[in-house]
Amino acid sequence: MGTADDAGVYKISDDLALIQTVDFFTPIVDDPYDFGRIAAANALSDVYAMGGIPKTALNLVAFPLSSMDMSVLKKILAGGIRILEESGTVLLGGHSVEDDELKYGLSVTGFVHPDRILTNQGLKPGDRLILTKPLGTGVMNTAVKAGLASQDQIHEITELMATLNRDAAKIMTRFPISACTDITGFGLLGHLAEMIAGTLNGVRIFSGQVPLISGALAFAEMGLVPGGAFRNRQFRGGMVSVGDRIRPALRDLLFDPQTSGGLLMGCPENRVHDLMSALHDQGISSAAVIGEVSDTLPGKIGVV
Amino acid sequence: MTMDIDARGLACPQPVLMTKQAVDKDRPSRLTVQVDNEAAVENVSRFLGTRGYETTSTGQGDLFTISARYALKTEEAPGSTATAESAPADPVTDGREKSQKILVLIATDRMGFGDDDLGRKLMISFINTLGEMGNDLWRVVLVNNGVKLTIAGSPVLETLCAYEKQNISIWVCGTCLSHFDLLNEKQVGETTNMLDIVTAMQLATKVITL
Repeated sequence: MGTADDAGVYKISDDLALIQTVDFFTPIVDDPYDFGRIAAANALSDVYAMGGIPKTALNLVAFPLSSMDMSVLKKILAGGIRILEESGTVLLGGHSVEDDELKYGLSVTGFVHPDRILTNQGLKPGDRLILTKPLGTGVMNTAVKAGLASQDQIHEITELMATLNRDAAKIMTRFPISACTDITGFGLLGHLAEMIAGTLNGVRIFSGQVPLISGALAFAEMGLVPGGAFRNRQFRGGMVSVGDRIRPALRDLLFDPQTSGGLLMGCPENRVHDLMSALHDQGISSAAVIGEVSDTLPGKIGVV
Repeated sequence: MTMDIDARGLACPQPVLMTKQAVDKDRPSRLTVQVDNEAAVENVSRFLGTRGYETTSTGQGDLFTISARYALKTEEAPGSTATAESAPADPVTDGREKSQKILVLIATDRMGFGDDDLGRKLMISFINTLGEMGNDLWRVVLVNNGVKLTIAGSPVLETLCAYEKQNISIWVCGTCLSHFDLLNEKQVGETTNMLDIVTAMQLATKVITL
C-alpha cells in the first residue's frame, strides 16, 4: 500500500496490515543506556504515527570494536530493550557490523487494521493541528555539545526524547484523526510542508501556542541553531511565510530537527476539546493546539 | 582592539563558542569571524547581536566573513561593569550577575482604585521614582491602558525616555496600541507581543504588576 511516510505498509488480509520501518543514528547523548532508550523510542515512533501497534523489532548495530569497550554496547542494547518492553514489542534478534563510528537503531514491525491506517495525507479544511511534545531537541543538543546546558536541562531533554509516543497514539485511535506524522529531522514546518505539499490545503501556525522546551528559545537567540534547521528552512522556506513580529530564533525552532519528536495530528474542530482533555488526562501535558488547516492559501504555511 | 577569528572547517556550535570565548575574554571593539557555511554566519551574527555588536557579512561558497563592531551607545568599553544589554540576555553568562532583573508590568495609567485623579498623580510619582531601583530595574512593560503613558502629552514621557537611554527596556504592547488606535502615537519604547512578554517574565528574577 503506497504512502509517503517513513514507514511502509503491507496488507496481509482484510483485517490486518503490517507496518515496517527502520531508523538508526549516531549517539546524541553521552550516556550509552540513554542513547539506547532514545534510539528505540525514535524507531518505534513511525509505527505509532501510522496508528499501528509495534509487535517485533530487530537491532541494527555499527560498533568500533577496536576503540570502544563492549560494555558500552551492552548498555546501549539494554536501554533499547527497556523501551521495547515498555512498548510491548518483542526483540527477535539483530545484526552488527564493525565500523569506525558507533550507530544504533532498530527495524520495527507493527500491526494495524487496513481501514485504520493513518498517513501524513488527508488534512481537511477546518481541522485543528495538535502537537504532543515540545520542540527544541536540536537546539538543546547543540547547547549540550557547547557545554552550555545545565544538568537539569540535559536530564529533561533526555527523558523527553526517550518518551514513547505510545500513549498519544492510543488516544488518537479513539478520535476521527484526519492525518498524522511524527516530528523528526525535517522539523515541525518541514513535516507540515510534506502534509500539505501538492494539496489544496494551507495551514496557519499560531507560533505563540507551539510548546517549546524550556531554555530552547534563549539558546536559539544565542546562535546555537543546528545546521539542520537552516537546511530545513532553505528546503521548505518557499512554502512558509513568517509574520514580521516573529523572532528569527522562534522561526528557527519551528524548523529545528527533532530527535524522537512528538506526534502532529489533524482533528476536526468539534472534537479538539475532547482530544485535548484526553491527552492532558493521560499526562501528555505539553500537547497543544498549534494551528489550523484552511483552503484559502493552498500549499502555504503562514506563521502568525 | 581588533580581533580575527578563523572558524572555518569547524562544525556547529564551535564557531559560536570560539566567538563567545573571544568576546568574554577580550571584549574586542571590532572583530571579524571567518566561517565556511551560511548557518554559521547566521548563528555567529545572532550571538554577536545579543552582545551589543553590529554585524555585516560577505562571502559565498565556503568562505564567509562576518565583520562586527561594538555598537552600544555608551562611552565605556564593552568590558566595563556598566554592561547593559539591549538584546535578550544571555541565559548562561548574564553580564548583570550581581543585580536582579526586575520586570515591572503596568496595565493601567493610574495607580489603584478609588479616586482617579489621585490614581493618575500616584502613577506619575511611581514612574518617576522607579529609577531608584537602579541596575535592578530591567524592563518596564506597558499593556492595556498603560500604553497611554507612552504617547505625546503623557506626564511621564520624559522619564520613560530617560529610562530607555539608561538601557532599561521599555516594552509597549502592540495589540493594545492598535486597540486604542495609537500605533502611530507611541513616542517611547519598542512595540512588543505577548510571547516576548511571557518569555521576559520567565527570565526576570522578579515581576511587579501594577
